[in-house]
Amino acid sequence: MLTFYRACLRLYPGDFRDEYARELTLVLADRLRDESSPVLRLAIWLHALLGILIEAPLEHLRVLAADARYAVRLLRRETSVTLAATGMLALGIGAATLVFTIANAILLRPLPFPSADRLVSIDEYNPADRRNGDTVAYPNFVDLRGRARSFEHIGVYADGKSAIRHPDGNEPVLLAAVSEGFLPAFGVAPALGRFFTAEETVPNGPRVAILGYSLFERRFGADPSIVGRALNTVDGTFTIVGVMPRGFQFPNLCDLWVPLGMDANGPRTDYFLSAVGRLREDVSSHDANREVAMLMAQIKQQHTPNNGWIGRVQPLRDVLNAGYRPAVVLLLAAAALLLAIACANVSHLLLVKASARAREMAVRTAMGATRRRLVRQLVTEGLILGIIGGVAGAFLASLGLPALLALVPIQLPSWLDFSADGRVLAFAVGLSLATSLAFACLPALNLSRRSILNRLKDAGRAVTASPRQQRLRHALIVLELAVALTLLAGASLAARSFMAVRGQPLGYQAGSILSMQLDYPGDRYPDGAAARTLVDRLRAELSALPGVRSVGFTTGIPLNSTWGRLYTVEGRDLPLEQMSFANHIVISPGFFRTLELPIVRGRDFTDADYGLPHLIVDRRFAEAFFPSGDAVGRRVRFGPPKSREPWHTIVGVAADSRQGTLKAQARYNLYLPYSKDVSLSSLIVRTAAPGTVLPDIRARLRAIDREIATDRVFTLEELADRGAWQDRFLAVVSASFAILALVLAAGGFYAVLAYAVSLRTHEIGVRMALGAAAADVRRMVVSQALRLAGAGLALGLAGAAVVGFLIRTELYQVSPIDPVTFVVAPAVFLLTAIASAILPTRRATRVDPLIALRHE
Amino acid sequence: MRTFALSRDTFHILVALADRDRHGYSIMQEVSARTGGSVRLSPSTLYSAIKRLLEEGLIEELAERPDPAHDDERRRYYRLTKAGRKAAAAEAAHLEKLLADARSSGLLPKRS
Repeated sequence: MLTFYRACLRLYPGDFRDEYARELTLVLADRLRDESSPVLRLAIWLHALLGILIEAPLEHLRVLAADARYAVRLLRRETSVTLAATGMLALGIGAATLVFTIANAILLRPLPFPSADRLVSIDEYNPADRRNGDTVAYPNFVDLRGRARSFEHIGVYADGKSAIRHPDGNEPVLLAAVSEGFLPAFGVAPALGRFFTAEETVPNGPRVAILGYSLFERRFGADPSIVGRALNTVDGTFTIVGVMPRGFQFPNLCDLWVPLGMDANGPRTDYFLSAVGRLREDVSSHDANREVAMLMAQIKQQHTPNNGWIGRVQPLRDVLNAGYRPAVVLLLAAAALLLAIACANVSHLLLVKASARAREMAVRTAMGATRRRLVRQLVTEGLILGIIGGVAGAFLASLGLPALLALVPIQLPSWLDFSADGRVLAFAVGLSLATSLAFACLPALNLSRRSILNRLKDAGRAVTASPRQQRLRHALIVLELAVALTLLAGASLAARSFMAVRGQPLGYQAGSILSMQLDYPGDRYPDGAAARTLVDRLRAELSALPGVRSVGFTTGIPLNSTWGRLYTVEGRDLPLEQMSFANHIVISPGFFRTLELPIVRGRDFTDADYGLPHLIVDRRFAEAFFPSGDAVGRRVRFGPPKSREPWHTIVGVAADSRQGTLKAQARYNLYLPYSKDVSLSSLIVRTAAPGTVLPDIRARLRAIDREIATDRVFTLEELADRGAWQDRFLAVVSASFAILALVLAAGGFYAVLAYAVSLRTHEIGVRMALGAAAADVRRMVVSQALRLAGAGLALGLAGAAVVGFLIRTELYQVSPIDPVTFVVAPAVFLLTAIASAILPTRRATRVDPLIALRHE
Repeated sequence: MRTFALSRDTFHILVALADRDRHGYSIMQEVSARTGGSVRLSPSTLYSAIKRLLEEGLIEELAERPDPAHDDERRRYYRLTKAGRKAAAAEAAHLEKLLADARSSGLLPKRS
């Protein structure tokens, strides 16, 4: 009984146990001895155990409170140390928490749908070229839907746009054409009405629509009797059959859903539909992936052409966040490195302070404080610093988030939620605790390993440092310098990559070209003559506006995504798997004049080319296929090898330009004259003053037809900024982190050198007394600085090379061992190191031997 | 109104030490006897209270044993300090005042 009781006493803090364990056991033994009844003895024993359970935690709390009181007193006394330490921690923890908040929103938070982990994306991808994927061909999807057993619901969608008719001006709206399984897959019920039926999602089916909640509120005042009423759009009138619940938006920012009316027997090579599914409860996405890959292989074997693309299932969130993932991982790594530097600095600060406190520690030891107690004291101090730093860091992060989001020029997808949740809170708290333990451990370990005798011996004299301590400090600062250089190089690579993206030659003056999307009422301007009349009238009237130099219409505004089509040059047939895509761009006359793209051979399109199978190619295409310069007159056909599309005769060669998005694989640009089959709705206008002509353009459009709505009005410059925002974001944030890291490391380096000089004041004094010149002393300090900085440089360069290798796929036309980066970053690094070393060196050379020796 | 400055257990321990110096078990027995067995301290409660009383300077640990003849040399003895005596007396006076108030208001029968 007593043995067990003694074991239970281990629940007490060590100091208490050392002091009272024996007494406690004795008292219990006395009581048990004085009681003869076994029942009462058992009661006494249980009572004693209960006493431990109640009192032991209280004792721990009392010790902690005493340590904390002492630590707070100490930290208040050493204000500058406390401020420096908590400031550096706040920066480190703030940066890490900020980045984690973003990572949480993008990578961790479940999508805002019920049981979102069961939502998957289904696609076909080209194993030879991973860039082709994320879509399915409709007939393949229909076959798959009939056979797959993994899904509760499965559906496809294609996004599009329309405009809702309104007396005050039509309102553009993003919509999705969806198959009947699409909306049920998200696991939400309609707020009103119902989803689409299989009978509605067929070619030429009934014109029905489902509203998004915000549209329902905005346009219909949330009228509950809306179901069955008509929705008047520029693409015709739809009968409203349902309303989605508040907050539901998929695909991104979509506000209206209509049935997809595709032919299940259409071509199996048209890829523009995306598919989503809800897994059955007992099926993993891994199992589903296996089933879909197998079924898709069967389907492809039964049909020709078999393009060999593979069916695939991935968690929907992974597909949605794929574009952000590498950047988030990079930023997390950068923040972790910054935090490591901050921790190393604080560690160093506490190490120095611990040596300075050797006397205090010795006195407390002499007064009976155990080593355990002293370590505990140091850890408590660390925890308090960590908590203050953590709170300040969380505050900094909350300030930083809006600033960071202000770097995003586009509207982010609605599934992203950047608010702080429990996970962010837990991260910040955990990080504060972990970091404070990390940097408190070093001085504590140091303290523990030094004997009391040593400490007492040291305490009498001026502050010294053991060689072990010094090595530790030097190792810390070398690592710190190396990490700072690594971050600097990483930021430089990111900046160079951004400049390569944003600074690439576009072929046109992006700032003077205004672009916009026009929404015509499709029922009044169907393809064909009516559309041609409208486009011609718009061209004529808009180009006559003052300030407008030239206008053109196109199917693809430059810097937006383009329609890629397979092509064949006459006489050079290739099998399907070797064919590549070119940008298929339909334009009106005036397009090249507006972009100021010269026609280098042949001629530009005129009105006479309307509807003719003519073609203008870009110079790269002409040089690749017709290096001898005889491109004009040759013929090109679009589509897979066996398509019956007509041959197009090349009538001109235009200068090269960036069509398609900034970072898209550069494809050849093939321009076609517009025809009755195409409705041109993208307008580009060249003008010296985009801001001032815009109201005139709008007024003229209204005068021509007040139902024409404008949307996505941007200069090409703005489009380029929007297209490069992620690169800019990454460059700005990593540069901020790198600058902070450099400043922290410089501060740390300065502190280490200054401390080393202060330790050697006596030695320097002796040397100078013995005749050493200031130059010798300077050499001594500088050589130490150079050794440390050199080690940091070498390690940092290695780190930079590793970083370059790791992020090579994220770099745009920048080598991972980019020469500029590997010259500029080390240069900045060395300059900073030299600057940090100046003050300590001067202090060393100004040591007065008399004063230095008087310390003895 | 003043709140109690001493907890019940602490007060009992101080009272137990008022007439003579005692070791832990003796304190425990004395408290139990004085309260007719209604207050029984566990060893843990006792020594947590002793530790705090020592820290606050209300009791002290004796270097020498009070009565070598009856002393158990294994044990530590405690004695009330001046401050401890004052605190206990103040507490007792306060309790007395409370008692008198209760009597005069008729809550308790008046003493004959």
